[in-house]
Amino acid sequence: MSVAVIGALGVLGLLLLIFARVPIAVSLAVSGLCGYAALDGWTHALRMLGTVPFNLASAYSLSVIPLFILMGAVASRANMARELFDASNAVFSGVRGALASATIGACAAFGSICGSSIATAATFSKVSIPEMQRYGYDAGFAAGSVASAGTLGILIPPSVMLAVYSIVAEQSLPKLFAASMVPGIVLAVLYVITVSVTARLRPGLMPKAPSLPLAVRVRALAKMWKLALLFFLAVVGIYLGWFSPTEAAGVSAFAAILIAFATRAMGWRGLVEAMLESVYATAMIFFIVVGAFIFARFVVLTQVPNLLAQYVQGAGLAPGWILFAVTMLYFLLGTFLDEVSTILVTVPVTLPLIAGIGYDGIWFGIFVTVMCTIGLISPPTGMTVFVIQAQHPEIPVAKIYLGTLPYLVADFVLVLLLIAVPGLVSWLPALLGI
Amino acid sequence: MLCGWAAAVALAAMVLVTVADVLLRACCNRPIRGTFELVELLLACTFFLALPAAFLRDEHIVVDLIDGAAPRWVPVLKRLSLAIAVALLAAMAWQGWIAASDAVAFHDVTSDLAMPRLWYWIPVLAGMIGACLAAAAMLLGAKGAK
Repeated sequence: MSVAVIGALGVLGLLLLIFARVPIAVSLAVSGLCGYAALDGWTHALRMLGTVPFNLASAYSLSVIPLFILMGAVASRANMARELFDASNAVFSGVRGALASATIGACAAFGSICGSSIATAATFSKVSIPEMQRYGYDAGFAAGSVASAGTLGILIPPSVMLAVYSIVAEQSLPKLFAASMVPGIVLAVLYVITVSVTARLRPGLMPKAPSLPLAVRVRALAKMWKLALLFFLAVVGIYLGWFSPTEAAGVSAFAAILIAFATRAMGWRGLVEAMLESVYATAMIFFIVVGAFIFARFVVLTQVPNLLAQYVQGAGLAPGWILFAVTMLYFLLGTFLDEVSTILVTVPVTLPLIAGIGYDGIWFGIFVTVMCTIGLISPPTGMTVFVIQAQHPEIPVAKIYLGTLPYLVADFVLVLLLIAVPGLVSWLPALLGI
Repeated sequence: MLCGWAAAVALAAMVLVTVADVLLRACCNRPIRGTFELVELLLACTFFLALPAAFLRDEHIVVDLIDGAAPRWVPVLKRLSLAIAVALLAAMAWQGWIAASDAVAFHDVTSDLAMPRLWYWIPVLAGMIGACLAAAAMLLGAKGAK
């Protein structure tokens, strides 16, 4: 059997296992192990199986993942979501769709202390959806707004996704965080524009809520200090040269715990819950990372990434077509695969391809993250939609997907903007001189 | 869920070590020696000790598109995937054991704190053996119900 055939069989086996309900981490490891054995014999394959988990488990750069997850878990228990929603509502109050725009603003702000979209969506589905329903918003639109706004969590730094990407693509995490800031803000603005356009076209979806008095608005905005402090420690501290990313994650998780205790928003019980939730989430992500690295060893052995890049360059395809093909690949994978697996499996193959047409690894990291935010809300397996549906079983899934449709348009506008204006990504890192 | 608690303790220790290191460096210009290695060790504990719990809680990410199409197959597929997981984890633990024995034979130590490399292997092996047992328990006890 030729190397290429074994490579193709490996990918086929992987897809077969995934669709047969085998956990994605196990599917990756098993197909990677068998493929490696077919190319290089069982002795080497098994030795690789024994050493990959060990090498990964003690990789210092991975330690940002549990620490940032912990900060998000604490923040979501510490009543900060409610306060952010009130503060954001203080800004938008009075216009039609204010509560939906407030949700977007609050999720964007929450994204700056929480690195996970699932956690952001889960937190705000408890806060925003009841509020919107109280003022007569369409249930599907309300849930769709939270599902879409929640995806901002992985784009706005800190981001667990970008941490995973930085490891698999060997890119600097501080640079990726800086690069994702502007696109994250642009996406939030595009979402707010989406709300106002939808309000014009279908005003029945979102009845106007009464405007808040000025004093209430000022008081709500003043409560933003906790968020500002945590963002400063978690992100700004890295650029001031105070902390490494791991230290920033550790210090800001600790500060989040202190704030939660000091404001009596969380007790010991909440802390234990947050810790346990973080370690379970970490174990799940790491196990996928282990599986993906085993699979990647096999893929590297097949030389498929190099062959593909050579083939594409030889074929003289226009860069536009390559970008289109890669975009479609991620759109397709996003419909059924979770975002961490998507990144881990594809980046070793797609990054050389994209580098061949003149984009760098930082730009691609942001591009892939934006594509993953699309995957998070696209049927049949939109993860943030599922999270919301689990908490609001009375809203049918189909209605939530319908509610996310307008935001999907905004997502694709951002994809086009990124391609047309790569400066959106490179401007801030260049300004900071990193 | 004892393993989950142990992992949570490791995570708490990771937070405290990092914070203490930063504070001591900022105030007294005396960082803790070997923080890097401690964090690595605690990370291995956090991840691997929580792994058995992740199996017991049935929390792994799966693609369940088949559930709607062929619901009758789901219990069979669940057992099949647990059997595959048991085999994989057993192979990982076996190979990890061999690699760990090599580390012992060579008396590998870390550069800063001179910790034996074996210390890193202990949580790794404990986690893999524990996860293997957890998956086996799910396979025997689940009967396709959960």
